[in-house]
Amino acid sequence: MTPFREQMVNFIAALRAAGIRISVSESIDALRAVAAAGFERAPMREAMAAALIKDEADRIVFDDAFARFFAAPAAGAARGTHPDHRGQLESAASGRGRPGEERGDVSKPRERPQPSRPGAKSAAREQDDHAENRRSDRSEAKTTVRGESKPESEAGSAQSPTAKNDGPEDSGIESGRAARIRVLERAPFAAYTDLEYAQARDTLAMLKRRFRVRLGRRLRIAKAGRIDFRRTIRAATQRGGVLADLRFRARRPRRIDLTILADISGSVRYAAELMLELIAGARDHFHRVRSFVYIDRLAEAEFESGHLVMTPALDLYARSDFGRVLSELWSRRAETLGRQTVVVILGDGRNNRRPARADLLREIARNCRAVVWLNPEEPARWGTGDSAIVQYAREVRAHLAARNLHELERGLLAIA
Amino acid sequence: MNVTQESVAAGLKHADYITNQRVETAVFLALALEKPLLIEGPAGAGKTEVAKVVAAMLPAELVRLQCYEGLDEARALYEWNYQKQLLRLQADEANGARWEDLSEHIFSHEYLLERPLLKAITSPRRVVLLIDEIDKADEEFEAFLLELLSDFQVSIPELGTLRAHERPVVVLTSNRARELSEALRRRCLHLFIDFPGIEQERKIIALKVPGLDERLAAEAARFVGAVRKLGLRKPPSIAETLDWCRALVRLGIAELDSESIRTALGVLLKHEDDRATVESKASALAARRP
Repeated sequence: MTPFREQMVNFIAALRAAGIRISVSESIDALRAVAAAGFERAPMREAMAAALIKDEADRIVFDDAFARFFAAPAAGAARGTHPDHRGQLESAASGRGRPGEERGDVSKPRERPQPSRPGAKSAAREQDDHAENRRSDRSEAKTTVRGESKPESEAGSAQSPTAKNDGPEDSGIESGRAARIRVLERAPFAAYTDLEYAQARDTLAMLKRRFRVRLGRRLRIAKAGRIDFRRTIRAATQRGGVLADLRFRARRPRRIDLTILADISGSVRYAAELMLELIAGARDHFHRVRSFVYIDRLAEAEFESGHLVMTPALDLYARSDFGRVLSELWSRRAETLGRQTVVVILGDGRNNRRPARADLLREIARNCRAVVWLNPEEPARWGTGDSAIVQYAREVRAHLAARNLHELERGLLAIA
Repeated sequence: MNVTQESVAAGLKHADYITNQRVETAVFLALALEKPLLIEGPAGAGKTEVAKVVAAMLPAELVRLQCYEGLDEARALYEWNYQKQLLRLQADEANGARWEDLSEHIFSHEYLLERPLLKAITSPRRVVLLIDEIDKADEEFEAFLLELLSDFQVSIPELGTLRAHERPVVVLTSNRARELSEALRRRCLHLFIDFPGIEQERKIIALKVPGLDERLAAEAARFVGAVRKLGLRKPPSIAETLDWCRALVRLGIAELDSESIRTALGVLLKHEDDRATVESKASALAARRP
């Protein structure tokens, strides 16, 4: 393999490690694109980006990796202009990460001074690995947040005329926003602090609009129903009585009543509030929406000017008891359950070892159109400890993970 | 045709399209590698314009397929001309023609209604095929496009597989109303067109609205750039910016202050709450001058 090709393969491996999906045909395209565009730095970068990066949110990762792998001519002149410089290759080889590593990691090497000695580099890498192993989920979320603040500063610098020599002239307004939303969508609820929650609330207006549109699509009434005989005959008279053009009766619109049960105990509170707000934005797609929140009892939830109001107020320090909530729903709120009703439950099913009452959930599922359970907990922890989720999951139509906004939205679309 | 990066850059410039390296390279690659180009970006950043400019540059005919919900093969690819087929059948009935001859005849090109995709494939000369707002079409339609995009051929059961004489230049645009499938993305080159930077927008204004004073054009570009950052429901597009600049010329406004901004704001912003946001900050935005 020629040095350049090798460098490209390493580069693509690094991008894949950063979570960007690149197929083999795309990497071949990238090589052909570079062959067509030439080795001048700016066209080469744009050529590779066009072939490899299919989502603008990934562009930041790409630009960053590109800067590491293909040094700028100024820096290259000091260390020899050939792209196959030892230091470069070395950093390329060690630049690969383990699959599943967060995108924030790719940006990290830039913050360190670029080492020129391979030995020093590998030692630094080793230390880094140790540090990574010690990292908890929480600090992983921190790195994603750090990665997220970058587009803002980049968008800012793109505005000033002095910083124009490298990047293309672009306002960066939309691409920066797209990247921010994407990172936020994938930040796990479990690692949310009030700061992340506030950021999520800020982008929620946009997510709400998108959810509304997507749900509307899903619920679209199929045009092809039964044949409308009268209109078909009428159309046929234009064709000399030949039934060439069949006309169909539009299907009866589906009406869905929605009943939502959201756990607002500490562990899943953020997920619950975001979900209730997402659904509130898409209200008009449903015939009727009833929202409840629960911890150990049931309370009706309402959104007033962006704040959650519940009646009666729940004791926020109570211990979760979903079994009791179920019996309350079944005995006192049965009017919210009917043949048209889809019940959406958000919770982790941690019942503090109280009776699960999964039999009630079975009854509810039998009476309703569907029961969907969204679980903000990590799938590996389902059914461990005091979790009764396995018993519940047996009774519902779908049990889906909803660890972040992205999965939550996907799960909610399953209603339709 | 031999394309080089320089010829594309020159061609785009000649067609009055002010752009940057990113767009030039992507267009060049789409022509050089003969791969479809998927363009994403906010509404009104000039996605559709790229296809038109490429058509003007080559020059080639532009075949446009506007996608919408419920778009199907019959309206995108081809349809049999039922009326004509029926007429033929009834005319031949009188002559007592044999069924074999007949069925062969009525399923020939003569009775085929060409829709944009088939037209792009069968055209003897190279065309630019613009598939606009692909995100509005259904997922099934997207899957149907895959054969066309990777091999530039379509299968019609009665006629067999039709292959393109001249591979068309395919440009797809998307506003991201829906995520496109990975399969589609993989087959395309990707280009993201963002709103232009202030300097680029100033050049666009100077080119398209020659009547506007140079200093005012710079101020207008800066103002629009600032307005887009406010996080409005619908940030102003380039076309709206140009309309607004034309309005400034017609109104004879020589100075951008909070008063003159208010008078023509309706050209720039199409939502009442956006308008209120900008009006409340108009003086601050206008005052932000070097």
